[in-house]
Amino acid sequence: MSNEAPAIEIEDSAAVGQSWKRTNAESKVMGTFRYTADLPVPKCLYLGVHRASQPHARIVHIDYEGALAVPGVIKVVTGADLHNVLGEEMMTGPAFSDQPPLAWQRVRYLGEPVAVVIATDLATARAAADEIFVEYEGLTPVLDIDAAVNGQVFVHSELRPSVIFQDLKHLSGRKETNVNYEYHLLLGDTDTGLQKAATTVTGEFWTPPTSHVAIELFNASAWIEDDRLELVSTTQTPSYVRQTIASMLHIRLNQVRVRTSALGGSFGSKMYDRLEPLVAAIAWTQKLPVRLELTREESFVLTTRHGVAVSSQMSADAEGNIVSASADVRYDTGAYADVGPRIAAKSGMVACGPYRIENARITSRCIYTNKPSAGPFRGFGVPQVTWSHESLIDELARNLEQDPAAFRRRNLLREGDMSPMGTVMHSADFVGCLDAVTDAVGWDEPMQRKAGNWRWGRGVAVGLKAVLTPTVSNAVLQLNQDSSATLLISTVEMGQGSDTIMAQIAADILYLSPGQIRVVSPDTDVTPYDTITAGSRSTYHSGNAVKKASENMRDRLVDMAAAQMRVSVSDCKLTSRGILSSSTQRIISIEELMLSQFGATGTTMTTEANFTTEWTPYDKESGQSSKVTEHWFAGAAAAEVAVDIRTGRIHIRHLAVAGDVGRAINPTLVRQQLAGGAIMGMGHALFDEIVFDEGQMINGTLLDYQLPSIKDLPDRLTPIIIENPHRNGPFGAKGVGETGIIPIAPAIANAVRDAIGVRITTLPLTPERVLNALAEQGK
Amino acid sequence: MNLTLNINGTDHSVEFSDGELLLDVLRRLGLTSVREGCGVGACGSCTVLIDGHSVSSCLTLASRCENTEIQTSEGLGSSDLVVRAFIDAGALQCGYCIPGFVMMTTELLAENHHPDKQAISDHLEGNICRCGTYPEIMNAVLAAISERDK
Repeated sequence: MSNEAPAIEIEDSAAVGQSWKRTNAESKVMGTFRYTADLPVPKCLYLGVHRASQPHARIVHIDYEGALAVPGVIKVVTGADLHNVLGEEMMTGPAFSDQPPLAWQRVRYLGEPVAVVIATDLATARAAADEIFVEYEGLTPVLDIDAAVNGQVFVHSELRPSVIFQDLKHLSGRKETNVNYEYHLLLGDTDTGLQKAATTVTGEFWTPPTSHVAIELFNASAWIEDDRLELVSTTQTPSYVRQTIASMLHIRLNQVRVRTSALGGSFGSKMYDRLEPLVAAIAWTQKLPVRLELTREESFVLTTRHGVAVSSQMSADAEGNIVSASADVRYDTGAYADVGPRIAAKSGMVACGPYRIENARITSRCIYTNKPSAGPFRGFGVPQVTWSHESLIDELARNLEQDPAAFRRRNLLREGDMSPMGTVMHSADFVGCLDAVTDAVGWDEPMQRKAGNWRWGRGVAVGLKAVLTPTVSNAVLQLNQDSSATLLISTVEMGQGSDTIMAQIAADILYLSPGQIRVVSPDTDVTPYDTITAGSRSTYHSGNAVKKASENMRDRLVDMAAAQMRVSVSDCKLTSRGILSSSTQRIISIEELMLSQFGATGTTMTTEANFTTEWTPYDKESGQSSKVTEHWFAGAAAAEVAVDIRTGRIHIRHLAVAGDVGRAINPTLVRQQLAGGAIMGMGHALFDEIVFDEGQMINGTLLDYQLPSIKDLPDRLTPIIIENPHRNGPFGAKGVGETGIIPIAPAIANAVRDAIGVRITTLPLTPERVLNALAEQGK
Repeated sequence: MNLTLNINGTDHSVEFSDGELLLDVLRRLGLTSVREGCGVGACGSCTVLIDGHSVSSCLTLASRCENTEIQTSEGLGSSDLVVRAFIDAGALQCGYCIPGFVMMTTELLAENHHPDKQAISDHLEGNICRCGTYPEIMNAVLAAISERDK
């Protein structure tokens, strides 16, 4: 009989690639889950906001005696009151320190907060806010981007770059301009390219501002605890908010605590400075616990997606190679820059599309106007430029009598190709995405073109986006003696599923099961710094930090086990049943190991990891960079539509959307992100639009603002996962939150073009626009 | 003023001010499933059932609800057919609007024993899921119907 122990059977770890159920699914379905408004906070006074009734005006006098006379009102605070205490530090913003928590001296958009009432209850605070009267001296408003660029009225007297984005420093003090940032891409020579052109197409494209409309409304509470400020807020950027508030109040980072629960949707709206500077400034200066809850109407004017104009041109030679492309992109950022300058650069740079182009010229500007501030919105400004390049390239293909999908396939960037920005492509399989969506809709199969008043058509589009770079993520992992784990990250769960997939990543390394890992909601007192939860960056960045922290924990367990079993470290490995010594075939569970190591039950061990990306800043004249981004998002969509030529109505028969996600950590959640992005993009294509009249938003209620409902679903919706692992992604993975929305509007418009022969360049494709375009064509 | 509301089968005596909305009273009682999303009855996230019929609690005066039976999703319980169907179908992303869909589905299943896809989307049209979870919601409702008919 052998003395050797029998070989122990070990299961492979298999958390990654599995469709784990969403964290908190049961409590979220039942309604017992606590979102931010449901978190316990001290008893607070309520804030009611009085808002500007003019888009651009000097504040002459604020009369709030009437408000103070309302029973239950404690106090009224104005911008001047805050400025007296906080000085210029009250001006915040990620790119420019241009936004006061309450307007000071001047109002710059209709709906801007001018004064707040502090009252014992919400209804009183809101009612008393209407008893404030402001005397204004009207100034000429800047209401559209061309007037802003060419006119002599300026929304801000000078540019004030913030300390957060260091690369904007050179703009400090610039006067008499509404253009707060200008990006240039210059590649080859577009004029030389044009000499080879067999056909050239041009277009004037417009995508209107839209609203995020996360169903959870914005809310924030702030109070002083000893010498610290505590803040509970609906934010997807808790680390950023902590820094902003500490700077504004001149206090240390550890004197600010920012917490949030999982969000009830965001789509970019709950990012950077929203309610937090105002609520923190009031709580700190007035030494009162205060809470602000916005109505839907107030949420509409808090932040929007950028309205964008693109004047563009694209040329191809007779064989079908793109020989020249240019785009002049204007982002309407409203009264405050928010992150608009970043959007103008990092999204403007892809305005010629994901194609092999030797000659390209892009100018992308971020422009102040007297409208509500525009900020990040799912896609970060890329869907608006994709609307331009994917419409143009369709017309190029048609001019050359080539199939629009084949024409794209010929010109698309491949693995290892140099992008027009000077950065090499990796893990961005545009061709794979394009093939998948065209296969899904039966692109090459014959189609009935006509039935009664209906005309049928098919369209396709691709999209390219760079991930925000450079950024920082951290993770702290606490392993408990019973082999459960607690994961501390500042990534905010907001429906994208980060709590679920971060747990899966840790579980995969540590052989844990669903339910064994708890992900702590962001709390800046305990969860470590994370740049932002946005831009589809969390899977890759936080995912890498979580993976490294988990590997550090695994290594530590192996070290401890080797010492306890008196074998070498290389002899040991972590398995689903504990740490196995190959030579002795002894196995020691995590529970036993930690119990004998520390001599107590209930003990913990902690590891941490940082993941930071770097970039090479682009050249200011040419926009060229050998590493402009850490990685790319690649996607494609194909649509089959029917258009009613009598009513102008568009019916979507099939919408297929594909994204190269590197590797799907949780395939079900990835498909939901792709489909959800496509549905939101369909709204932008067909009806979603904020309408302004003289600076006044006229459809900022859910009675007037149309959103996709279940009845707007296409007859078929096909989300498709494409996997080309990224060499540095956690298990090869990249994010997917935005990929699905980017190519949708042009795919639908190209299908409409195919169906009825007209090219519409202004979104959304309303029945009126379709009928007008048909009438125009008939002339 | 004082009134008695029957919520999820239990009577609650509540202080309320004239003109107060059912939404605010329910939230004050700790019923977190009832949520204001628009304040104008257009998003469905504050949906509750009163005597089995769906209403937007943001448009309903609390004082009108005495002597009625008010149902919220908390009252369904975790083993409820519709709740289980939504969980099993993965019919949520951020989850914020889902209790409203659950209540609408509960009403639909009581009113219409064999709704087809058209009837389901007609019934759920007034509820907005901004994450776009509609395909999974449709699957959840269909699954709940077939589970009930087993």
